[in-house]
Amino acid sequence: MISAQTAIARLRWDLAISTLLHRMLIGAALLTMFADAVFGDRFFRGSLLLAVIGTVWLVLMFRSVKGSQIAAASPMLIAAGQWDQAEQVIDQALRGFSLIRVVKLRALHHLAMLRHAQRQWAETAVLCQALLEQKLAAATGLSRSARLMLANALLEAGDLAGTYHALVALYQQRLSLNEALQLTSIQADYLARVQAWESLAEGIEKKVELAELMPPEPSARTQALLALAAKHVGRGDWERYLRRRVELLADVKELVAHRPELGSLWA
Amino acid sequence: MTEEASGFLDVEALLESSEPRPGGTWLWYAAGAFLLLILVSSYLAGRSIAGPWLVELVSTMSMMALVGGMGYMAWAGGRAVIREQQQVEAIEELVLLRRWSEAAEMLRRLLSRPARTPQARVQSLVYLASVLGRYHRWADAITVYEYLLDLDVLDPDASYGLQLGRAMAMLHEDRLFDVDRVIGELRRQCEGRMPGGLALVEIYRDVKTGHPQEAIELFELHQEAMRRQLGMRVADAHALVARAYDLVGRPVEAAAAYERATLLAPEAELSRRYAEVAAIAGKYAAAQRPERQAA
Repeated sequence: MISAQTAIARLRWDLAISTLLHRMLIGAALLTMFADAVFGDRFFRGSLLLAVIGTVWLVLMFRSVKGSQIAAASPMLIAAGQWDQAEQVIDQALRGFSLIRVVKLRALHHLAMLRHAQRQWAETAVLCQALLEQKLAAATGLSRSARLMLANALLEAGDLAGTYHALVALYQQRLSLNEALQLTSIQADYLARVQAWESLAEGIEKKVELAELMPPEPSARTQALLALAAKHVGRGDWERYLRRRVELLADVKELVAHRPELGSLWA
Repeated sequence: MTEEASGFLDVEALLESSEPRPGGTWLWYAAGAFLLLILVSSYLAGRSIAGPWLVELVSTMSMMALVGGMGYMAWAGGRAVIREQQQVEAIEELVLLRRWSEAAEMLRRLLSRPARTPQARVQSLVYLASVLGRYHRWADAITVYEYLLDLDVLDPDASYGLQLGRAMAMLHEDRLFDVDRVIGELRRQCEGRMPGGLALVEIYRDVKTGHPQEAIELFELHQEAMRRQLGMRVADAHALVARAYDLVGRPVEAAAAYERATLLAPEAELSRRYAEVAAIAGKYAAAQRPERQAA
């Protein structure tokens, strides 16, 4: 099993090497052109050296693209619950060299996804925080997904202050529909834990519409939390409506075992 | 756009036009040009009337232009792949939000030209089948499902999901003989999978072919699996079993099932999905959303 610390250390090392190699190749090309202009013909042929540098760059890029294609399989393996295979693929991607820095960041992101699926909250949080330190993660959109996972991992670990900060950062970003759905689910959970019932019940119609688009389990949980908020703010119509829906969508006993505060809906 | 106007989705043409073109040929041309340039510059260096420095300058500039051009083409290709993926994600969102006409238009534009990657094409075709189903163009939807299944590029779970979609489309098209064959195949593949999706197909088949008692039994047997697997779409199962209860003359149970179905999905949407459910719309009371009660 790859430890979070090892993966992060490897990422930082590889990013440094990749940056260095990029700069060396560009420097060598510029130096070749300069030397060619000054000493051309007497000592060497600049065009041949440029060809060598170009070939090295192409070979490294080709290897990097191949590596990224291998790593692309891991999200599907994680979704299918094939965690051991996903771990192997991610390990391979993390160990392999890549001139493209995003490939390495994606591999670390996939590892965070895997730990999140395995409900290893502390490891997930550490990996997401390391990803968020990278400026490139923001440029490639990985930061939004990492922040969502971080918020959820911190919430599950009981770190409400950390969850709040992660959620606030997400409000300032433009999210895709899937990300907005995840945010709604995490936000509902967070607001219920801090007992901010008014905030949770605010715009309940819209939140229910979003919950309807979620996968079965978060959909049922979010609607149950909204029912609880409706109960606390005295909106009995929404409480009854959502409670009955939840009874059709989930096993109430399982739901309450996972979120004991929901027990009051069926008390 | 009206539902009739969606006829512009010419499935055969879209399947053909979206075929990815063999890529990467430019790389070989560039490599050939690269080699040729080195050879020509080497040959001319000693023979040029204008002097070796001019040949050297021209060859260096050409080399730089070639490397720069290759870099640009790689960058532009990468950008095009990203744009295509963003379009596929936008279509996914439109389908999820049930903005069907916009999804149809975007699919038409995307599939009218060769796809950059086979993955994006496959994803787009899966959404195309959903959109065609929404417009009740079941024969076209079946064509797309069969095309995707013949490609044999999907993992077993995705392939199983597509087979379920195809079976549903076949039922809507009244291809009952084919459906029985497909259900038999799905039962064989069902091992290790939750049977909720298949149960819904079989309930619909039984309601459609006038076997309501079997539909009720299936519903009772697989209710839990359907709830776990289908999420909000479990409303379909409640609506179909309401029709089954209605057919066997059990109006109390039919009313309760219909109320449960409409608690999860709008009555109009359920009637649109199944003509059999439309037959009992108005006969039993639908659940009301709170804001409608207030209005």
